[in-house]
Amino acid sequence: MSVETFQTAASVDDAIAAIAAGARPVAGGTDLVVGARQGKKPLPPSLVAIHRIADLHSIEEDTGLVRLGALATHAEIVAHPAIRTRLTALADASAIVGSHATRAHGTIGGNVMNASPAMETGGPLICFSATATLKSGSGTRWVAIEDLLTGPGSTSAHADELLVSIDVPEPAEGSGNAYVRLEYRRQMEIAVVGASALVTISDGTISHARVAITALAPTIRRVADAEAALVGSDGGETAIAAAAAAAAAAATPISDVRASERYRRAMAEVITARAVGAAIARSRGTDVPIPASPALHGGLS
Amino acid sequence: MTAVEEPTTTQFIRPDGHEKVTGTGRYTADLDRTGQLHAAFRYSDHTHAKILSIDTSSAEALPGVLAVVTHEDVPDVLYGGMVQDRRLFARDTVRFEGDIIAGVAALTPEIAREAASLVVVEYEPLPVLTDWAAANEPAAILVHPGWESYSGDETMGRSGNTLGYSSIVSGDADAAMASADVVVKSHFRTDPVQGVPIEPRAVVAEWHGEEVTIWTSTQVPYAARGGVAHTLQIPESHVRVIVPLLGGGFGAKCDFHFEGHVAALARKAGRPVKLVFSRHEEFFAVGHRREGFVIELETGARSDGTLVARRGKLLIDSGAYCGEGGFFAQMAAMHALGPYVIETTDIHSYLNYSNNQPSSSIRAPTAPQVCWAVEQHMDELAEALGMDPVELRRRTLIEDGSVTATGQVLENIAMKETLEKALELIGYGQELAEDEAIGVACGWWPCFSANSGAYVKLNGDGTGTIITGAQENGTGSVMAMPMYAAEELGMKPEDFTMLYQDTAAAPWDMGSCGSQTTFNSARAVIAAAVEVRDQLLDAAAEQLEASREDLELVAGAARVKGSPDKSVAITELVGGGTFHGKGSGETPPQPEAPAEGCVGKLGVESFLAPQLIAHAVRVKLDRGTGVVRVLQVAAAHDCGKILNRIGADGQVYGGVVMGLGQALTEGTQLDNEGRQRNPHLLDYKLFTASDAPSIDIAWIETPTPNAGPKGSKGVGEPPSVPTAGAVGNAIAKLVKRRVRELPMTPERVWEADQEVPS
Repeated sequence: MSVETFQTAASVDDAIAAIAAGARPVAGGTDLVVGARQGKKPLPPSLVAIHRIADLHSIEEDTGLVRLGALATHAEIVAHPAIRTRLTALADASAIVGSHATRAHGTIGGNVMNASPAMETGGPLICFSATATLKSGSGTRWVAIEDLLTGPGSTSAHADELLVSIDVPEPAEGSGNAYVRLEYRRQMEIAVVGASALVTISDGTISHARVAITALAPTIRRVADAEAALVGSDGGETAIAAAAAAAAAAATPISDVRASERYRRAMAEVITARAVGAAIARSRGTDVPIPASPALHGGLS
Repeated sequence: MTAVEEPTTTQFIRPDGHEKVTGTGRYTADLDRTGQLHAAFRYSDHTHAKILSIDTSSAEALPGVLAVVTHEDVPDVLYGGMVQDRRLFARDTVRFEGDIIAGVAALTPEIAREAASLVVVEYEPLPVLTDWAAANEPAAILVHPGWESYSGDETMGRSGNTLGYSSIVSGDADAAMASADVVVKSHFRTDPVQGVPIEPRAVVAEWHGEEVTIWTSTQVPYAARGGVAHTLQIPESHVRVIVPLLGGGFGAKCDFHFEGHVAALARKAGRPVKLVFSRHEEFFAVGHRREGFVIELETGARSDGTLVARRGKLLIDSGAYCGEGGFFAQMAAMHALGPYVIETTDIHSYLNYSNNQPSSSIRAPTAPQVCWAVEQHMDELAEALGMDPVELRRRTLIEDGSVTATGQVLENIAMKETLEKALELIGYGQELAEDEAIGVACGWWPCFSANSGAYVKLNGDGTGTIITGAQENGTGSVMAMPMYAAEELGMKPEDFTMLYQDTAAAPWDMGSCGSQTTFNSARAVIAAAVEVRDQLLDAAAEQLEASREDLELVAGAARVKGSPDKSVAITELVGGGTFHGKGSGETPPQPEAPAEGCVGKLGVESFLAPQLIAHAVRVKLDRGTGVVRVLQVAAAHDCGKILNRIGADGQVYGGVVMGLGQALTEGTQLDNEGRQRNPHLLDYKLFTASDAPSIDIAWIETPTPNAGPKGSKGVGEPPSVPTAGAVGNAIAKLVKRRVRELPMTPERVWEADQEVPS
């Protein structure tokens, strides 16, 4: 089936009206159009382009949080100073989405609402306890990203809702965070295994931890056992290994064209250890470059 | 000892770069003809099935559809390279997922695609043969039950599912193996690989009465013309093939592919028809990819390294049809020897049908896979001998005077010199960081002698035009032709323009394949220019009242040698007459290969003007994940005289990166019915510019017997021959067990480093 109607929304209200009438929103098109060309899913018959809605195209700092407009691109996220310094895992993630072209066009809103279990930004957003703002004709709802992602390609958003922004609370002082992905090559990659970690260290002890795994389950998900293995520990190798083992145990990987179940499970442990290690290193002020992935894979230059 | 020289060549920058980089260049998909329709194909729904019925009525009834074509609309003829085993449109059997059952021409591509889906086909599914290595077993189904009725080259050694069989048997390998101090056996397997040109193919066909003009993205316009003429049973003179800018091919656009289908659609619709492939089609529908292999090798050596015997069994996946890959069995057998002196051999090579995508030439067909296996096998042998792998190669590589297993006597080759140069460039023996290693591999590749023809004409103002059948495929070698004509005529390269990629204009040419453009087409251009030179000298002799033998063409004038003031400008000479020449030159003869143990001689039992290659790579392993990064590549080549350093270097950069992709990331995965599982660029992992390492290049120039123009050999294919082997040998130094499958993906490397479960 091909696109029958295509309209360009000038405002959020325009877009919401079009969506209520059955249109699907499109911003950068890096998932929708590429997926259709690849034969994964045909383009929806009715599209509303939201890329010209200026209100959605911003990254704002508010008290204790960063508000990402749905149209913030990955390239803009990577370049943002507050994100680089305090929400580093999100910068790690956006820095390795697809290619240069994908990052210039692809938006955070599209990335989240596409709800791929392999998406890069989901893990960091869940670790930060980020919240999506969804708007429709009947009002506004706020849904935690963790609750928004319900399955591969599915969210808890209602059919008439538009994601307008994502609030990302900044972690407490003494925190460090990172996102690490297994990469077969240096560009144009998609996560085969990914892991996100956030730790807060006070007086040498981890007081707060979040660990999430990517592409290892039908949705990106937190691993409570991994977090428990870290909290109260000194963040040493034993704790990191315990968290990594917990992540591998929690994974429900599949075998497909990208990797076998066996390899994915083994990599869940390796990649989680690297993400947790990088988060701890950053919490202690050690410089881990953005994105963390290439630097961590054996120190490859 | 062969003389080693560094190249001192003209640096020629290709003139089409600007239009390609700035986006003003026009490719086939950019062309539109008045009244043009759009084509779509209905592909098979099974990888092996009988067709019971085809009903096109619903497709034809769809508004906007102007023609639907099936086998009933074209002559019932078979086509193919060395064996004719395929129809344009499947008639009673489909044999792989890209078999075409019907074509549709409609007002828009969307309508055409919808109509294609409305063609109703009834099938009787047949058992599927995807494991080509099992194709010779008694229980295997026949992919072509009627194979004996096909016409084809009599020397192919066809039998059942074996489309081509070739052997190289010399001496008593059994006795020699039994007497060897050390014997090593190895087993390898490779996945199929795609050419992946950045431009998906496109074809536009337009009829004028009984004649058809076809614009198409092909590497071989004359083969495309021949294919159209044969399948539609019309004279070649009625088919004109024009190639606009070509967006890469890497071999995948060799052969006749879809020109006949589109011409048939245009004829039935009575309108021009355009076909533009999607990236998905460019993967699964093109009957043309690099073949998968199963390779068994066994080599016996004396303790000093002398190779006393090699046994080899090569099983090659031809896929569903022959295409132009009929010579693969013999070519693979030659690469199972490699560039080594081996006292006795017993090599058997089978090109087997399957229900997989057909295989045909991709850059240096068969060589990278077999070289990858042989070079790892050589390292295994060195280990068994307790010898450094480089030392084993120093002792066994071919050199001047060596006789190959097929009896070819080699002269003026710099194989060993390329090895030493590659070692020097990579810093072999240097202290390496943790989890780094250097691997080395050597390979060879022949030049192909082929007919070619060219015209050179001078215009009234003293400028010139070169008309050549040569096809440009991204190498820039066609665009270097003005250099050769200018040199013969004492003119400047910029004095010449070119007319090419039009079969109506120039004599037949093999096309952009086999690294042959400079080797054969430049020879023709030079021969044509020599004719013009003779005409100019005759005219100048008359005008200057001088003896012709005393004249020379220099700086745009004919002048008396030693008396530069006695001269006449070429511009003055041409005003008075029509100067034009044609030429082909003499094709270099194939070296003799007198050995009797070669069955299935298909023309590559000896290697004309062999190109010799040594690659050394430094890699780093991420032990936790199995991800391998290539940090540095040293590539040393004996490709004869280098005529244009920039162009030659460009081929090495591209070839090495392609070779690294084959080594580490690129492979087509098939399901159990032979369908591609990763027919798109997300999961078919091309090496990207970001992955490319630093590449150091050295050229070793030798005075080659039977070389191309000015002592040149080919350049285009060899750079991807030994790359994967070098990477494999580097990886093997870092992991517990050798990786025996290609590509050597992170998962395969990681598995090779795990403890074997007890």
